[in-house]
Amino acid sequence: MDPTPVAPAVIAHARGLVKTYGTGETTVRALDGIDVDFARGRLTAIMGPSGSGKSTLMHCMAGLDRATAGSVVVDGDEIGRMSERQLTRLRRTRLGFVFQAYNLVPTLTAAENITLPLDIARRPVDRAHFDAVVAAVGLGDRLSHRPSELSGGQQQRVACARALVSRPAVVFADEPTGNLDSHSSGEVLGFLRRSVDDLGQSVVMVTHDPNAASIAHRVVFLGDGRLVGELLDPTAGTILDALRELS
Amino acid sequence: MRRVALRGIRAHLVRFVLSVLAVTLGVAFVAGTFSLRAMLSSTFNDIVESSLTGDVYLRGAEAAGSTSPTGQGGFGEARNAIPIALTDVATAVDGVALALPGLNGPAVLVGADGVAVSQGQAPSFAQALDPADPTVRLVAGRAPVGPAEIALASETLAASGLTLGQTTPAVIAGTLAQVAVVGEVDYGAPLAGATVLFLDVATAVQAYAPAGLVQSITVYADPGVSPQTLVDRLQPVVTADAAVRAEAVTGDELRDDARAQIETALGFIETFLLVFAGISLFVGGFIIANTFAMSVRQRLREFALLRALGASPVQVFASILVQAAVVGLLGSALGVLAGFALVSVLRVVLGRFGMSLSGTIPLEPSTVALSLAIGTVVSLAAAALPARRAALTPPVEAMRDDVVVQERTLRWRALSGSLLTALGVAAVVLAVVAPESDGGQRLGFGAAAVLVGVLLLAPVIARASLGVLAAVFVATLPPIGRLARGNVTRNPRRTANTAGALMIGMALVGASSVLAASAQDSTRSIVAETSTADFVLRSPTAAIPADALAAVAALPDVEAADAVTLGSVLIGRPGAGAGGPGPATVVVGLDPGAFGRTMDIERTDGSLDRLADGEIAAQQGAAADAGWTIGTELELTSTTGSRTVTVGAIIDSPAIQAPIVLPEAVFDDLVPAAQAAVNLVFVKAVPGADRTVLRRDLTAAVAPFVVVSVLDNEQFASELAGQVDQVLVILYALLGLSVVIAILGIVNTLALSVIERTREIGLMRAVGLGRLQLAGTVMIESVLTALFGTVVGVVVGVALAAAMPTVFSDVGLTTLAIPWGTLGWILVLAGVVGVLAAVWPAIRAARLPVLQAVTVD
Repeated sequence: MDPTPVAPAVIAHARGLVKTYGTGETTVRALDGIDVDFARGRLTAIMGPSGSGKSTLMHCMAGLDRATAGSVVVDGDEIGRMSERQLTRLRRTRLGFVFQAYNLVPTLTAAENITLPLDIARRPVDRAHFDAVVAAVGLGDRLSHRPSELSGGQQQRVACARALVSRPAVVFADEPTGNLDSHSSGEVLGFLRRSVDDLGQSVVMVTHDPNAASIAHRVVFLGDGRLVGELLDPTAGTILDALRELS
Repeated sequence: MRRVALRGIRAHLVRFVLSVLAVTLGVAFVAGTFSLRAMLSSTFNDIVESSLTGDVYLRGAEAAGSTSPTGQGGFGEARNAIPIALTDVATAVDGVALALPGLNGPAVLVGADGVAVSQGQAPSFAQALDPADPTVRLVAGRAPVGPAEIALASETLAASGLTLGQTTPAVIAGTLAQVAVVGEVDYGAPLAGATVLFLDVATAVQAYAPAGLVQSITVYADPGVSPQTLVDRLQPVVTADAAVRAEAVTGDELRDDARAQIETALGFIETFLLVFAGISLFVGGFIIANTFAMSVRQRLREFALLRALGASPVQVFASILVQAAVVGLLGSALGVLAGFALVSVLRVVLGRFGMSLSGTIPLEPSTVALSLAIGTVVSLAAAALPARRAALTPPVEAMRDDVVVQERTLRWRALSGSLLTALGVAAVVLAVVAPESDGGQRLGFGAAAVLVGVLLLAPVIARASLGVLAAVFVATLPPIGRLARGNVTRNPRRTANTAGALMIGMALVGASSVLAASAQDSTRSIVAETSTADFVLRSPTAAIPADALAAVAALPDVEAADAVTLGSVLIGRPGAGAGGPGPATVVVGLDPGAFGRTMDIERTDGSLDRLADGEIAAQQGAAADAGWTIGTELELTSTTGSRTVTVGAIIDSPAIQAPIVLPEAVFDDLVPAAQAAVNLVFVKAVPGADRTVLRRDLTAAVAPFVVVSVLDNEQFASELAGQVDQVLVILYALLGLSVVIAILGIVNTLALSVIERTREIGLMRAVGLGRLQLAGTVMIESVLTALFGTVVGVVVGVALAAAMPTVFSDVGLTTLAIPWGTLGWILVLAGVVGVLAAVWPAIRAARLPVLQAVTVD
């Protein structure tokens, strides 16, 4: 069926992905036929100007939004045909999320926030893995604190730990550093990259910050709902060049 | 600024809908009470207008005990009776067209179904049908002639199911007779449920004026003669004989008296209902306060922006109050309509049951204005604190990315709440320790203080209490139990306010249930301690016909049938003179032989034997209040005259619900048979008699009188206790509204907090929380809130009610009973309330699309 073959090292891919908003004259094509692969065990960044469709692409890939046409396969399963219940289970067991802000449940402690996906799925907490993740984010001494008692960077690191603790097939991060200062950004990005390098995690990250994107193995560029370019092993400099070229 | 306020309401209309509804319900209660009172007022005024049509009335010159303890006998203050012969004297006076003696008294009519015709507590009476009487009009059949014929008022005829020409038993002035219904009479006024029979004049005189005495004589003037002129002419004639003690007054004066008396009685009903309306409004205030607090919290940034743009704190404050005023006005306008509709429905329902009431429900501008004002003021008052908070938002908040809402400290509430609770508890303890000195007042004050104090303390104790209540959910339903616990404890002030609304209602429900159970237990133990009779005769009309008493006494197996007769006299000290004859008081007439035979009465001083010598017994409490001791002389005044008696015994018997017991001979002398009511008959069997046979014989003997039932002591106690249940049902119904409003409050808080937590909900859904789990979380939050309010409310209510038997033991509340079963059901009810309240917010939360929830600002 698929015209383009899918390599085994691909954890998630989209084929002919279309997402339109509105009807008739006011129709907006946020995604206009996208074919993209995200590699297993790699950090892929999605970049593009505002309105290019990068967030929509991520939402469709993560099952948070339904595509108008085309197929999305995550970890071997077509999610376009999944029911709401199946999507919930998919998110619970095989996906991890890091959002831009307001990322934690304020009534739970940092540790409780981290294990929340496991609690919801009623899965036992793998202590060793939990400790490894917590050590990786460097939060060992703040586990019993509430989110309101943590700095923005610490909160985002808790969110990262939460995304990783259930060993998801893929972590989707939507502008994870958007609300952070440069120091905290560096910590969070460093952690995401380490999770890929050390834990073999697959991460897809949407960002508009070339510095953030530069830690990725690969950057894909979107423009007007289409894939307009990509860059392997980027640096901030090559990304800036590419962006300049695209605009 | 006004535009900002109004746009704010329009943009968030849904958030204010439940606040509006809360005001609507409370105000509907208030407006309904006012219109009900106005309707009853106009109904009874119509009755006064159409039944008291005389130009002049002749009546007793001196006040006397009320005409009848069972409510029959017309309007106006009770006075001494006057000779019926004055009718002829008056007729002879120039200018008098007609004089009619007032001939009426209690009667029981048996309907086509063999059951007494009666409408609740409405009176059932017979009166003379004089062809010349302009107030009544024969519409079918003919006027009754002789003791075997009666006519019926149209409504009574319809309610009885009888037809003209039919014969039925009726008890008239205590005598059972078979009577034929020969006529239908238009009474010319709404009867308000009363059962009215008409007799011919001779029969009525025989039945209700056997001693030649009547309460009043109605005089109609010749055309052109003014009532005052007639009074001036009649006064010298009727006062000619000083011993007659009669006077003439104009019809207007009598009607004014009657109206004043009705207004007083309706005033009590109104006050009673308004208390409950007030509770509902108070509870509604909690919802409004919570709504505005949450709305302000969400819009702090907006207020900061307004402040940064130059708005003064007063302007921000005013903008919130404008919103509150809109909510209040809208809610109360709807409330007035709802109240009006409520009374209309009530009128139709009562009409179905035969209670014909006045045709119009007056909607007075003052009622509308007052209701609107009450609703608006409640709304404004409730929004004042949140508005103040909004006004004090520093402009710099507008610049912050993330508005951190500083929770104010609970220290002030903890301090004032503890103080008030301690004061209240002290007052209650004082009332319990020394019930005889203002015990009731102190208890009332203490209860109010404790309730308000606990309301203030609620947020302080919320976290710990909710933690305990939530333990079971946390243990059985991870992780949603923990999430729900977190949600209800994160803002204890809000949870406490939401639960507080329910707390008030549940405290009252809990207290009522304890009070009812205690009253029932007390009744049972009082009956068990007092009655040594084998059987008790009782009648729902509260008046056992004299013939029934005679029939029972005549049975061979009956050793004694002791009648407890109620009447009313004025009690004073002899020679009080200028001080007047003292207040009208219900007294009990009893055969002195009943003591030790059918009744065991606790005597604290003197001797019950002295009652046989014509002395009287006084209740301990009443004697202490009035300073009576053994040997005190009292002057008893009634419609037939005065008599001086001596206190011969002091008794302590909650079973006898009157301050004074008169020996039968004295009672009969003072209270004419038509104005006395045999309340109960205690029957003692001849030794060795078969109880089953006796019961059958008794039942057969009273069967023709329809309204008399034969009960053993246990059944008697149950029947008395059953009356408490009826009162309890009314009380629950009235408290029900405040509970309904409290449920709205929970719905409101949950729905608003779902909106407030949209992002958080989206996040949890994104990390895999299922819809059912989310709905379950909201539901547990709701149940926890409801349980918290109910548990605290019931504990406070039960604890306060537990003090009542000690404080009110002198009025018959002797034992404390806590109805654990009922309280258990109240808790179950709270759980159900919690689930119900959560349905809509839970569905709303579960339907939030994950993506929009995550990305919402």
